[in-house]
Amino acid sequence: MTDHQGATTATVDPKRDAKGAPTASDRTDQSVMIDVKEVTKRYGSTLAADRVSFEIRRGEIVGFLGPNGAGKSTVLKTISTWLPPTSGTVEVAGFDVRKDPLAVRQRLGYLPEHNAMYETMRVDRFLRFMGKVRGMSGGDLTQRTNWVVGKCQLEAVLGKRINQCSKGYRQRIGLAASLLHDPQVILLDEPTHGLDPLQVAAFRDFIRELRPNRAILFSSHILAEVMATCERLLIINLGQLLADTTVTELRAVADEKNTSLEEAVLEIVRKGGKRT
Amino acid sequence: MSATVATHHAGSFEGIRIIAARELGAYFDSSIAYVYTIAFVILANSIFMNEFFLTGTVDMTAFFDLMPLLMVLFIPAVTMRLWAEEKKTRTIELLLTLPIRTGQAVMGKYLAALGLFGLFLVGSLPIPIMLMVLGSPDLGLIISGYIGLILLGGMFLAFGMFLSAISGDQIVAFVLSAIVGFAFVLSGQEQVVAVLDGLIPALSLGTVLYENFSVMPRYDSFVRGVIDIGSLTYFILFIGLFLWLNVQLLERQRT
Repeated sequence: MTDHQGATTATVDPKRDAKGAPTASDRTDQSVMIDVKEVTKRYGSTLAADRVSFEIRRGEIVGFLGPNGAGKSTVLKTISTWLPPTSGTVEVAGFDVRKDPLAVRQRLGYLPEHNAMYETMRVDRFLRFMGKVRGMSGGDLTQRTNWVVGKCQLEAVLGKRINQCSKGYRQRIGLAASLLHDPQVILLDEPTHGLDPLQVAAFRDFIRELRPNRAILFSSHILAEVMATCERLLIINLGQLLADTTVTELRAVADEKNTSLEEAVLEIVRKGGKRT
Repeated sequence: MSATVATHHAGSFEGIRIIAARELGAYFDSSIAYVYTIAFVILANSIFMNEFFLTGTVDMTAFFDLMPLLMVLFIPAVTMRLWAEEKKTRTIELLLTLPIRTGQAVMGKYLAALGLFGLFLVGSLPIPIMLMVLGSPDLGLIISGYIGLILLGGMFLAFGMFLSAISGDQIVAFVLSAIVGFAFVLSGQEQVVAVLDGLIPALSLGTVLYENFSVMPRYDSFVRGVIDIGSLTYFILFIGLFLWLNVQLLERQRT
């Protein structure tokens, strides 16, 4: 991991300087990698995201917390370029998702909701396909594939078809596929869904390891999961961003009111519910 | 590694090629490719042989005359899954958030389907080989017929894939494509033209459709050995139109 990190930091696309984004040598650089401004998304008459704004910087792991149907996936889908926002703008590493979707996609590792994959493909072939589409080939592809396979512990299933793999494996295959190209921005929609406690713990360690130089946003409806991995969390419900806070701040609020953290979060969610 | 970090995407043709290779692999992974090819080869060859023994002429006209109706059933079976399956399994979100243009994904899938159709045609090659052993068929006529058949198949594939994207369901896509295919073929039948003309004589609907819409007069000119620009343009326009519509549709459906 460490030598790999070295290689990455030395080669992070110098092209990006033109856009005023970070230079490769700057290890302490904390530039904004995900910039969501006033994003609204409507599906017909349903308001799935309502003027959501936040920024995520390089080196941050941010948890996106909210009940099912709160709008987490919708916001992630607009960042991933899958859904155009109805209004507002989203920029990834300085590139607008609508004007420059290919530049955004090149820099993004995205694990969509439900982790859909080509079921009848063999795991090794699926990973190679994902790498090739991203322009990798030959030794680079093999090296990167071996790295993600090792990190996600997929050695045992490489020759199997995806639909023959257990849920835990499937989730790790999806994660491996989204990290193959060593993206600077990582979006994970419910990444621990279907993992057992041991696998969840391994996932946390892995995500923390990825943190330097990357911006990571992952969604979950489980507070404990978010708290174990991130310092900062965004709380969303009914399409509205209700809080952009840190675990420390949240804990202070909970202590003050003499309640648990869960209660403090629920309090925020309930208040938000009344607002609409 | 260092080079890939900077690019992170495949070139235009490379992107199409990678998508096409995956898609063609999927046909073989799910054994659809084997089943369809074997079924096509058995049907096409046996029906031709039947005709061949009856007429006893050393040419493939009987084979090419049969193809449009066979394509009405076979092509929708090939195209129905192309987008409907991606939508049902939600892999479309994975595919269309990769650093490729929607047009590259459409072209890749189209070429994969065309590749499978090509395999069907390879399965029909025993017929011309047999004819060459038995006598001296007009090779120009056979080649021209195959060109017509490739264009006809290419057009059916293009609207079949488009209808798979519109319907989002494999069965619906199959039925719709078969109906559209029938319309393109039947509007070229004399009896159908006569009946339609009879409905509202002032409009002579059947003739209008036959002249402007039906695939049959264009295809038949190739089968008769005439490669004319008008027919070629007809096929290329329709193929281009449906591929373009496919891209537009997918872009719209993102919302």
